[in-house]
Amino acid sequence: MNQALKNNETTRQIMVCCGTGCIANGSRDVYQALCHELANHDGIDVQPVMKATGCNGWCEKGPLVKIMPDDITYCGVKVKDAAEIVDKTLVGGELIKRLLVRDPVTKSYLKSHHDTPFYSKQHKVALRNIGEIDPASIKDYIDRDGYQALIKVLQNMSPGQVIDEVIQSGLRGRGGGGFPTGVKWKSCADTNACPRYIICNGDEGDPGAFMDRSIMEGDPHTVIEGMIICAYGVQASKGFIYVRDEYDLAVIHLSRAVEDARDGGFLGKNILGSGLEFDIELVRGGGAFVCGEETALMASIEGNLGEPRDKYVFPTEKGLWGKPTVINNVETWANVPVILGKGAQDFASVGTAGSKGTKVFSLVGKVVNTGLVEVPMGTSLREIIYDIGGGVLDGRSFKAVQTGGPSGGCIPGSMLNLEVDFDSLTRAGSMMGSGGLIVMDDHTCMVEVARYYVNFLAGESCGKCTPCREGIRALLDILTRICNGDGQIEDLDLMEQIGETMQEASLCALGRTAPNPVLSTMRYFRDEYEAHILDKHCPAGVCPALTEFYIDADICKGCGSCARNCPVDAVSGKKKEPHVIDNSKCIRCGECYRHCKFQAVRIR
Amino acid sequence: MEIKIDGKEVEVCPGETILEVCRRENIPIPTLCYHEAFGGQGACRMCMVEVKEGDCTRMVASCTYPIHQEIEVITMSEKINRVRSTLAMLQYRRAPNSEYIRQLYDTYHVEPMPLALVDPMEKCILCRLCVNACEQMGRNAIAMVRRGIDKKVSTPFDEAADDCIGCMACVQVCPTGAIQVMEEAGKRVIWNKSFDLITCDRCGKPFATRDEIAYMEKKTNLYEYEHLCERCRPKAMAKKMEALNRDNS
Repeated sequence: MNQALKNNETTRQIMVCCGTGCIANGSRDVYQALCHELANHDGIDVQPVMKATGCNGWCEKGPLVKIMPDDITYCGVKVKDAAEIVDKTLVGGELIKRLLVRDPVTKSYLKSHHDTPFYSKQHKVALRNIGEIDPASIKDYIDRDGYQALIKVLQNMSPGQVIDEVIQSGLRGRGGGGFPTGVKWKSCADTNACPRYIICNGDEGDPGAFMDRSIMEGDPHTVIEGMIICAYGVQASKGFIYVRDEYDLAVIHLSRAVEDARDGGFLGKNILGSGLEFDIELVRGGGAFVCGEETALMASIEGNLGEPRDKYVFPTEKGLWGKPTVINNVETWANVPVILGKGAQDFASVGTAGSKGTKVFSLVGKVVNTGLVEVPMGTSLREIIYDIGGGVLDGRSFKAVQTGGPSGGCIPGSMLNLEVDFDSLTRAGSMMGSGGLIVMDDHTCMVEVARYYVNFLAGESCGKCTPCREGIRALLDILTRICNGDGQIEDLDLMEQIGETMQEASLCALGRTAPNPVLSTMRYFRDEYEAHILDKHCPAGVCPALTEFYIDADICKGCGSCARNCPVDAVSGKKKEPHVIDNSKCIRCGECYRHCKFQAVRIR
Repeated sequence: MEIKIDGKEVEVCPGETILEVCRRENIPIPTLCYHEAFGGQGACRMCMVEVKEGDCTRMVASCTYPIHQEIEVITMSEKINRVRSTLAMLQYRRAPNSEYIRQLYDTYHVEPMPLALVDPMEKCILCRLCVNACEQMGRNAIAMVRRGIDKKVSTPFDEAADDCIGCMACVQVCPTGAIQVMEEAGKRVIWNKSFDLITCDRCGKPFATRDEIAYMEKKTNLYEYEHLCERCRPKAMAKKMEALNRDNS
């Protein structure tokens, strides 16, 4: 092995993951430390190329350091490991076992991240470059065939052919609605009005979702290339990237990428000598969730209040400033260069009959491998959560997975074999949304989950139309009273009635999908609602008003874990003797319940 | 072009909204946020109707749906009634202090309100007509502020707005009487701002704010010697006409 490592020394690259998750874990310091060690080490003849890359997706294990072409991946790297990595691996050619990932089953050490179940089951299309390139370098992007699709399009294809190719690929909008992208482009190209606009929707706001963030931070040029290809297809002259201002790294990388693309002749007048004129402007959003809705987003770009309008006339006909506008989500744009580069057939060879290609999911919640995954459409929830995600945290049992963010629904364990695509999720009463997957274990109260999401929407709805604003308020009040033990059984019918009106009458998709968390939990977890209302009991032990904890003296070993974790000293007992909870002091936080290894803490 | 509304053939101009056509044809559709002067807003959703476009039927807001193809409109069905009745309930829950909304609730419901009222004193249903009126006046003194369930109509930072001229255009379009105005001792207080009232040069009645008159004169470039109230103005005009006629004959 020593020899193999040394032979590759001349072309070596060290890639430090500098996605937001890894940065939070100190990856920038690791990067600096590695640079410092390399510069000061006597044994290095040829300096390796250092790269700060975008998010590799496996945020749980960060900061990640990859050494190429040796294909070594180190996880959880700290500043103090830098010297050892340079000394042992780069100079000595040894692997540092401590920093390698271990196979969850065989416990063997895995040299490359490609060998881990987390990565081996993934299929990267939209995320193809992320983690492999320095997002601040246009050269890195071009080295990995970046802008080749654009060159091919400009030299060999007519605008109509570009649109046909996208239609044939079967690409559907990745922002949530799943509208066929090519059809959207065609209806814009078929209008007579000028100028035409192109918008990239980077206003990702679902709690726990970071797919678009990762693409904008880690591979901004692919978004830009996708937009330029569309601009050629629909003959648009101006593009906007609407990005959340909170995504500061995305704003920095996108601004830099737009400038570099302009300098490289990919943007501006007469792009690559083809006569195409197109430029992109960055618009920073103020952080309103509803501005992810396309008509609200356009209102925001126009400088108006971020409120949606009825879409009986599509934006492709009357969009930004009343002109034909194509608006797609970040992930959709990231797929476009691949479709034009490799051809529609190649793209459509992956996926299901109705949903082609892959989908990026952000896998979060009570799951072992938190992170970003990209899988072919039609992959089952079980594969995503168990094979890639490594199962539920702390060996607990799986209860539900929330898909599609606050507008999505909760899917129960009995449906884990559901093959995920746009249509299957809608049939299950949820939606694809932008791709958030929040895994919940058996310590989750589904009524409280519904209340949480409705509460989120109560603050994030724009409040323009009555069904959404007042419907959400009514649902929130009803759910709160159920969680407080004041619910009545008629409340369930009332919530269904209000939910139906919201779905039928709301102005935009936010309002129409807002009752989904409530309706889907009522559909799959009705027994929990009934337990709250009829038995005045929260089965998961979450709702304080409906929960009382006690310790089963026969099971308790007296380990004291409950007493140590109790924030109000409500648990008492001698060592190795059964403990007791003083319910007059207990605040029902559930810490004792979660920490007991013997399941001696019970819910009454 | 022709469309079908409740089975009846109706002639329409392309681009007209369903609501405009229904109003012309005397087909009743309830609305709260619609005013001919401002067009459809699609906010209250009381005007939802069912539209059959080819094979698919969906619910649309009749005030914002422009007719561009031969469609079939259904203005009354069990589903529409269900939606409107839920909306009436939600509106009443929000603004129970408005007699207008109370009546709306009673037309759809016999049973008592199943939910606690949000604020028993509230009258505003957030129909936004006042904001539209202010914008049309060219003042933009009030606007929709905040988001979600905290949305309300207000002046910037809830303070007395520089742009407000106390013209009461907002009060006049408000369907629920939700905007508070106080008039006493030659002053009008509205939107946290106090205005001096000008009295009618003939009858002495206080009738408009000084700011309002100044804005009107500046906008029309007509400066009048006499400031007359809405009752004395027509009388004065009539006298003038009478004099003119007499001179002519």
